[in-house]
Amino acid sequence: MAEKTNSDFEPNIVAFLCNWCSYAGADLAGTSRIEYPPNVRIIRVMCSGRVNPLFIMNALQQGADGVLISGCYPGDCHYMQGNYYARRRFNLMRNFLEYLGVEPERVRMSWVSASDGIRWKEVIEEVTEGVKTVGPMDKFKRRQLNW
Amino acid sequence: MAVKKLSKEKMGDVLAELGKFRLIAPAKSDEVVIFKEIQDPGEVFLDYGNSTVPPKKMVFPQTETLFRFQVGKPELAEKNVEEEGTTVIFGLRPCDARAMSIVDKLFGWDYDDPYYQKRRELTTLVGMACVEPPSINCFCTSVGGSPFGTEGLDMMLTDLSDDNYLVRALTEKGEKLQETLADYLGDAGDRDEKKAEELASQAEDKIKRSIDPGGIPDKLPQLWEHELWKRVSDSCLGCGICTFLCPTCHCFDIQDEVEETGEGRRARMWDSCMFSEYTVHASGHNPRPTRKERTRNRINHKYSYYPERFDVIACVGCGRCINLCPVNIDILDILEQVVEA
Amino acid sequence: MVDLSKLREIAGEVISRDDVRELIGYRPGTYGFRTRPAFVYEPGEVDQLIYTPACVNNLATYITLEEKLPVPRGQEPDTRKVAVMVKGCDSRALVQQLEEKAYDRERILILGIPCTGVVDMAKVEARFPGILETGEISLEGDKFVLSFDGKSEKVAKEELLAEKCRRCRYPTPLVYDQLLDDEVKRFAEDDYSDIEELEKRSGEEKWAYWEEKFSRCIRCYSCRNVCPMCYCEDCVLDRLRPQWMRRSVDTSENTAFHVARAYHLAGRCIQCGECQRVCPVDIPLMELNRKFYKDVEELFDYEPGTETEAEPLLSTFKVDDSQEYIM
Repeated sequence: MAEKTNSDFEPNIVAFLCNWCSYAGADLAGTSRIEYPPNVRIIRVMCSGRVNPLFIMNALQQGADGVLISGCYPGDCHYMQGNYYARRRFNLMRNFLEYLGVEPERVRMSWVSASDGIRWKEVIEEVTEGVKTVGPMDKFKRRQLNW
Repeated sequence: MAVKKLSKEKMGDVLAELGKFRLIAPAKSDEVVIFKEIQDPGEVFLDYGNSTVPPKKMVFPQTETLFRFQVGKPELAEKNVEEEGTTVIFGLRPCDARAMSIVDKLFGWDYDDPYYQKRRELTTLVGMACVEPPSINCFCTSVGGSPFGTEGLDMMLTDLSDDNYLVRALTEKGEKLQETLADYLGDAGDRDEKKAEELASQAEDKIKRSIDPGGIPDKLPQLWEHELWKRVSDSCLGCGICTFLCPTCHCFDIQDEVEETGEGRRARMWDSCMFSEYTVHASGHNPRPTRKERTRNRINHKYSYYPERFDVIACVGCGRCINLCPVNIDILDILEQVVEA
Repeated sequence: MVDLSKLREIAGEVISRDDVRELIGYRPGTYGFRTRPAFVYEPGEVDQLIYTPACVNNLATYITLEEKLPVPRGQEPDTRKVAVMVKGCDSRALVQQLEEKAYDRERILILGIPCTGVVDMAKVEARFPGILETGEISLEGDKFVLSFDGKSEKVAKEELLAEKCRRCRYPTPLVYDQLLDDEVKRFAEDDYSDIEELEKRSGEEKWAYWEEKFSRCIRCYSCRNVCPMCYCEDCVLDRLRPQWMRRSVDTSENTAFHVARAYHLAGRCIQCGECQRVCPVDIPLMELNRKFYKDVEELFDYEPGTETEAEPLLSTFKVDDSQEYIM
C-alpha cells in the first residue's frame, strides 16, 4: 500500500521535457555520464506550454506511476511565455488530482536549465524516491484484464 | 406449481441462498438505488420505488466486450460470449421485466445476438409487484403493462403487507428456482391469493397518469412536418438521460480499443439517439442535425416504427424519462399533442 | 417577488420587436411543482410565462446550445436577437460567454431577474411526494408557500432552499438590458467550507469517496449539455482523434471524463449548479468544480463571470504566480 518502500517496486515515470532547456539538461546529464535512476520515460515537447494537463491524467490512466513536467526557468522560456501558462495549468491540475486522492508525489513539475545536468539527476532522484514511497499507481488505471 | 409464501424474516436466508448464483438486486450507493451484483445479502435494499438505472444494464451491459484480438494475429481473436453460470435478478419491477421481453424481439430479429441472448438465457427474473406506484409519473397501464404484470418474469413476489410475500413461479426457470428455495417457503392459502388480487386491482387504480395510445402509431407518420416537434424539442438539451434510463432503449455504438502492445478488444457501449453525433455520417453529413429531428425520431421509434415491426409499443410507462429529464420534457405531454394534432 | 403581469407585459413588448426572434423564459411544468423553459415566438404566447422560486433552470445555456445550421441558398441568416430571462447566477454565464467572445452582445437581449433563491426540487418532492396536479411555489417573507390541490403550506425557506443559493454572491444579474424587479443585495457569502472539509480527508478516503461516485456515472453527458460554459462544437469529451476518454463506461474512463470536464471549466465555471442538479445518479459535481473555483480565487485572484472585459484565466499569467509545488 502507501508505505511500500519495497525495493522491488520500480516505478514507471513519464516525463514531458521541453526541448530547449529540460531536454537539453537531461541530455547533458547523459553525456556527462551522470548516473540517475532509470525509471523515467522521456517525451520531448517543444515547450512545457505545449503540455496539455490532460496528458497527466492520460498517463496515469495508462499505467504511469508518476508524471513529471519539466521546463525552462520562468523568464527563460524559448517561446517567451510558454512556461508561465504551463505553471498555471500545472498548479490547478496538481491540486485537483490531489483532491481526488492522487498522491501529490506522483504529479510533479520542475524547472531544469540546459546546462544543469546535475540538477536533472537530483530532480529524477527526488521524483523517483517519492513515487517509490507511495507505491504503484492503481486508482484509475485502465483495466484491460477486465475485458 | 403451488403458490408459496415467504415470511419477511426469512428473506435474508433466501438472499443468501440466491447468493450462490450471481445475485443482482437493488442496493444503495449513497442515496441512489441501483441494481448491482450482490456480495453480501445485507446490502440488498427492497424498500424502494424503482432504480434510476433500469436492470436492463444487467442483461445488456453498458459496456460489453464483443471479442478480444491481437493486431496482426486474426487467428487469436476470441469471442466473449458468457458461457455458464446462473444469474438471478431479484426484485425488479414488472415494467422493467416487460421491457426485456420487448427488447428480446429486436435482439432476435434480423440477427440472433449471441451476447444478449445467452445472457438472457442464463438469467432468471424474480419480480416485485408494485403495491404502490413507484412514481407519480408511472403510466404502465396505458401501454399494455400493469403494476402486477407478469410478462417477462420467471417468478413474482407480492408484498402482502402482513410481513409475508406471496411467491409465484411463472415459468420453468421460475419453478426450478423455487425448488432451490423450498426450505424457506411455506404454502400460501386462498386468503393470501385473494389478498394479492385485491392489492393488484387497488394498484391499478393508483396509477394516476394515462394516455390512450391506440391511434398514435398510425397518426405519427402523418405528422412528420408538424410544427409540434420544434415546440417540444426547443428546451431539449440533447443529453442521454431519457435513453439511458429507458428500459426499452437498446442502441449501441461499437468501438475498438487497442493498446500500444497491439492487444485490444472490440466493445459495444450504449449510445443515444439524442446525442448530436448519433447520426453523423463518415462524410460529415448529419441527417438529424438538430434536437427537433432527434426528438421526432425518438417518439416515432418508440410509438410508430417499433410497433410497426414488432406489434408492440417500445415504452413500458415506467416514467423515468419524465422524472429525470432536466428540462421537464414529458412524453405524455408530447403524446397528448400528437393526439390533438 | 417579480410582478407577473409586469413580467408578461415586458415580455410582450420584447417579443413584439422586429429585431427579436424568440424569448426564453419559464412556464409551469407538466406535474407537481416543476417548472420548465418556455420558448415564446409570438406576443400571444406570453401568458404562459411565470417566475417563481421553482424556476431552477439556467436558461443562458440555450444561447450557446442552439444549433447553427448552414443557411439555404438564397436565404439570409436570421440575425434577430434572442431574448433570455436570467437570474443572478445565470447572468454570470452570459458574462463569461461574452468575456470569451462566444457571440456578439447585440445578439442577445437580457431580461434580468434579481433572485432571492430557488428551491431544491428534490427536497420539495421528498417533502411533498406524489403531487400530480400543477402546484405553485412562492415566497412570503422567510417562508416558501407551496400551493397544491387547493390548499397551501408554508415551509421555512431554510428547509427547501437550494444549496447553491446559500452561498450566492451575485443575486442581481451582472449584465442586463432590463431588470424585471428591484435589485437584491448580496445576502450570502461563500467560504468554501464544504471544499475545505473534503480537502482535509486522507488520500485513501478521498479516492474511496470519488470512486463510489464515478462508478455510478452512466456518461449521459447531461452535465456537459446543460452547462452554459460547455459549448465547444468539437468537445474534448467526444473527440475520437485523439480519444481522450474511451466511450466505455468504467471507473477509469469516468474519472478521466470528470477530470477533463472540471479542468476545462477551471476559471470558467460560474457556479450555477445545474450540472449537479441534472445528474440522474447524484454525483456531487459542484464539489469538483468548486475545488477549481476556490483554487482559482486563492491562487490567481480571479472570479469568472463577473466582468465582460476581463481576460480569460488561462490566457493570462503573472510573473509571480505561485511556484509552491515546483521543484
